[in-house]
Amino acid sequence: MLDRKIRVREIRDLGGGNHLLTMSSPEQARLVQPGQFMMLKCSAGLNDNPLLRRPFSVFDVDRTPGAKRARGLVLLVKEVGAGSRMLAALKPGQEVCVLGPQGRPFAVATATQGRVSTACLVAGGVGIAALYLLAQRLLEHGVAPVLFYGGRTAADLVLREYFQRLGLETHYTTEDASLGEAGLVTYPLERFLRSRIRSGVRVYACGPWAMMKAAHDLAVKYKVPCEVSLEARMGCSLGACMGCVIRAFDDGGEEQYMRVCLEGPIMDSRKVDWDTPPI
Amino acid sequence: MVHKQVKRQADRSPRLEVDIGTVRLRNPVMTASGTFAYGVEFAHLMDLDAIGGIVVKGISMKPIKGNPPPRIWETSSGMLNAIGWQNIGAVEFVTAKLPALRKYRTNIVVNIVGFDLDDYLEVARFLNDCPGIAALELNISCPNVKKGGFHFNKDPRDAHAVTAQTKKVCTRLPLWVKLSPNVTDICEFARACEEAGADALSVVNTFVGMAIDVEKRRPRLKYVTGGLSGPAIKPVALRMVWQACRAVKIPVIGVGGIATTEDALEFLIAGARAIQVGTANFYNPAASQQIAAGLAEYCSSKAIGDINEIIGSLRT
Repeated sequence: MLDRKIRVREIRDLGGGNHLLTMSSPEQARLVQPGQFMMLKCSAGLNDNPLLRRPFSVFDVDRTPGAKRARGLVLLVKEVGAGSRMLAALKPGQEVCVLGPQGRPFAVATATQGRVSTACLVAGGVGIAALYLLAQRLLEHGVAPVLFYGGRTAADLVLREYFQRLGLETHYTTEDASLGEAGLVTYPLERFLRSRIRSGVRVYACGPWAMMKAAHDLAVKYKVPCEVSLEARMGCSLGACMGCVIRAFDDGGEEQYMRVCLEGPIMDSRKVDWDTPPI
Repeated sequence: MVHKQVKRQADRSPRLEVDIGTVRLRNPVMTASGTFAYGVEFAHLMDLDAIGGIVVKGISMKPIKGNPPPRIWETSSGMLNAIGWQNIGAVEFVTAKLPALRKYRTNIVVNIVGFDLDDYLEVARFLNDCPGIAALELNISCPNVKKGGFHFNKDPRDAHAVTAQTKKVCTRLPLWVKLSPNVTDICEFARACEEAGADALSVVNTFVGMAIDVEKRRPRLKYVTGGLSGPAIKPVALRMVWQACRAVKIPVIGVGGIATTEDALEFLIAGARAIQVGTANFYNPAASQQIAAGLAEYCSSKAIGDINEIIGSLRT
């Protein structure tokens, strides 16, 4: 984890308040693992409001064309409040204070030790941002990811062309039927789990709490491992303030409060107390 | 001839050491309890030896789970927290965290918490026997637990009692007391704790505050109220430090909204012997180290040979 002042290389408006932010940071890019996040200071001055940094999943590592050397980070920024609006207004060349990469990453190692053949990537809305690096890493190790991507409406399903370019089998759902199947993303997921031989299948989910809970319930029902990418308002992101906790079960089965920044954001879904959402 | 003399003085590094009773700090900068975990979590982001001391997260004898979330809410120039003293317990701290922290030269002060007097005495007794700790900081001022802490700040006589009793069991270690600002007269509490034998005072803890979600019509914190910290509280914390310094003779450590070198200087000039950096650590992990360097530069640039010259130098 490094604390660096880095420059914006490019910022792309994806519509619907979504922006893809590319920043130059070879040091941090070389360290990042799928599922990790960066903490961005939204205001220009370090002691200016808003004080606290905001966490963003690393969507992708930016590489030099040709040589493919890691030169920076790509983050998905959705305008939801004052801080994210400041980030959305950044221009190429401007500097941002960025801390990271941080957090417990997805367990790709287990996936690639021949014990997983199929990875179900389950995304809800901007949760997609946590899954692209993972998809690439899984493919590199011969594991076939299948994408299940849902949202309220077609405009919510951003960045899907990136996954399409990887050649993945994709299943889209929208609640208003504007794209793909009408309904929730767990409908095609359940059909998939029911129809496949389940040994070697692993679920990775990122999205709203209710979506991840539903994915977890399916993983338990069909007896497959499942990892989720949790979200919480963060104070320090370093495990110091104890602010970003969720209720979870430790190895002894006892209920504890665990930090999303340190014991997460990626957690075994069976550890999470799904009946107690943090907000 | 005169020019050479002035240059020679400026070349000599200013003396930044301050004494909090028998505890010598390499410089007046410390980190505040609850904002720096057990120190080692920050070791790769700053040099822990660059500051005078670390006050670790409040420790109780038995582990405490803490309050249900949401536990934090950002405010203008600050934040509210209702963590609820989540900590790993004294035994786990001493076996799992303290050894790594002791590898550094910085002073380790342990903040202690409890729900009643017996809790405080038990953890104080236990830690008193542990090598590697420079002092204990008695947390009788945390606004986020139903009993204990806050209750000792309703009446100076209760603050006196808990200080005096805890001081008795601290046969090896100095006892600092962290005061709550949620009182009518900070001087009453400062004097009471000094009388009871406190070796120093940390002034102040967080201010009780709250925030509301107007869509859901619910408090932003599950606990409803929380402690306000950050730059927003600095003017009030500073005023209380100034008042406390005039009320007692024991050292006062200033804490509350310090984020920059200038902030730290304000507290030192008001009379604080040392300062603690808290909330700033969250968005600027190396803040305390930067402030320590800033104090050195301030002294050099003004040809101040010893930081102690400016402590309490406010002209009124």
